Amino acid sequence: MLDLFFLAFVGLFIFAGLKRPFLLVLAYTYIDIVAPQKVAYGFLTSIPISLVTFALAFGTWAVLDDKRGTRVSFRQLLLVALLGYCGLTTLGADFPDEAFEKWSWVWKALLFAIFLPLTLRTRLRIEALTLFMVLSIAVIVIGGGIKTLAGGGGYQTLKLLVNDNNGLYEGSIISCVAFAVIPLIVWLVRHGTIFPKSKLVVLFALGLSFACMLMPIGTQARTGLVCGAVLAVLSLRTVKHRMLYLGALGALSLAALPLLPTSFTERMSTIENHKSDQSASTRVAVWKWTIEYAKANPLGGGFEVYRQNKLVYETIDEEKAGDNNIALETSTIVEEGRAFHSSYFEMLGEQGFPGLALWLMLHGLGVWQMELLRRRYRSREEPELKWIAPLANALQQAQIVYLVGSLFVGIAFQPFCYMLVGLQCGVWTYARRLQARPIAAPPSMAKTRTLTA
Amino acid sequence: MIDKITILIPHVLMAIAVWRLLLRDDLDHDGLAEPPTRSFRRGRPGDGDSGGA
Repeated sequence: MLDLFFLAFVGLFIFAGLKRPFLLVLAYTYIDIVAPQKVAYGFLTSIPISLVTFALAFGTWAVLDDKRGTRVSFRQLLLVALLGYCGLTTLGADFPDEAFEKWSWVWKALLFAIFLPLTLRTRLRIEALTLFMVLSIAVIVIGGGIKTLAGGGGYQTLKLLVNDNNGLYEGSIISCVAFAVIPLIVWLVRHGTIFPKSKLVVLFALGLSFACMLMPIGTQARTGLVCGAVLAVLSLRTVKHRMLYLGALGALSLAALPLLPTSFTERMSTIENHKSDQSASTRVAVWKWTIEYAKANPLGGGFEVYRQNKLVYETIDEEKAGDNNIALETSTIVEEGRAFHSSYFEMLGEQGFPGLALWLMLHGLGVWQMELLRRRYRSREEPELKWIAPLANALQQAQIVYLVGSLFVGIAFQPFCYMLVGLQCGVWTYARRLQARPIAAPPSMAKTRTLTA
Repeated sequence: MIDKITILIPHVLMAIAVWRLLLRDDLDHDGLAEPPTRSFRRGRPGDGDSGGA
């Protein structure tokens, strides 16, 4: 039944795309995030809907779309360089079969991110892409939020749509992405034209944001808690009434604490003392291994290189032993083939220093460019311009949340995050095209002037 | 059951969004960030750089 539903939905989407080809880009975005072929697990798995949709999206863009004034941003060139470099490391990978398996989806994510900004020619397209990214995440998050409220949460036990524990259906990753999406939800409510602001829209946005905030509780992912804290701090920059915001945040946190599951608070408390928690100790051991590996292999070992690691570390447990005495029990743990649990170390180990440099430059420039847009357009009140600064701010916040979450989760090649990069590039090149056109000066200026890029 | 309801809501919203986008003229051209059209026959009276789609 689910197969038929998804097939019908994708079919109608593609049919609509034949009339308006840009809709095929949105269709591919939806398929890449939701992965309906995984959710349905029926005959849909045998239909290559992802490949078909991408081919249609690219083909119709190449043949039909207006390409006048198309600009390629420097970050798209960085993506091309990263794509090429990852291809090279895959050819010489330490684990060729596993590396090729990861490469089989990484190149698609990078290619789509390179292609995406070329299609974002209008304000409405930018808004539509943002909306579909948010609604696609909503497919996963709404169910996760309801199950969390119903008490169905737990570390690696919360059943999202797909029992995969992979990609966006993995607890830490969806917790990070869920918080990254909240600024985009706020922007859509305030500046959306597809669903203009109304009581229903605000209600849905509040519900969706709440569901996003429930994800770290349901998945008991510490990464999610850290991402939430980072977003709360970033929001201080743009919120109008800071003291009221801080007061409300504090009150809500205090009110929520007694309602949280004990298993959640116990797991979160291990953030402070990683030595007694095996998963946190494993992370530190892997990171140390990666640094040593990178010193010996500065160009990287290709995808999945972590499989060769062998880690020996100690955990320390404290136990009460009589009055005023604490017994320390040391355990020696040996583990093999543990994943990086950090995008930074994932890049360092797999793609070496050049790959890490490209990745850092890609994201660092993103934060900087969004800051530039935010400052350049924040005082503009014209309807055709006043949405740019808030969107740049939202995208910057989303990216910073991702970059902080990336400290603890290996999501260096997560496709959703490259869609975010593509969206940023699209907004950047759109703003540059605006600057190159003669536009009316703000009301405070008497003469019309042309801004050079 | 929860999964079916939670799948339905965002999909209905996406379907509504697709419908609204089909009806919007400014999806493919908004006349703002586009270069002016140029006539390849320069010099003819009335020709020249003219803005708009």
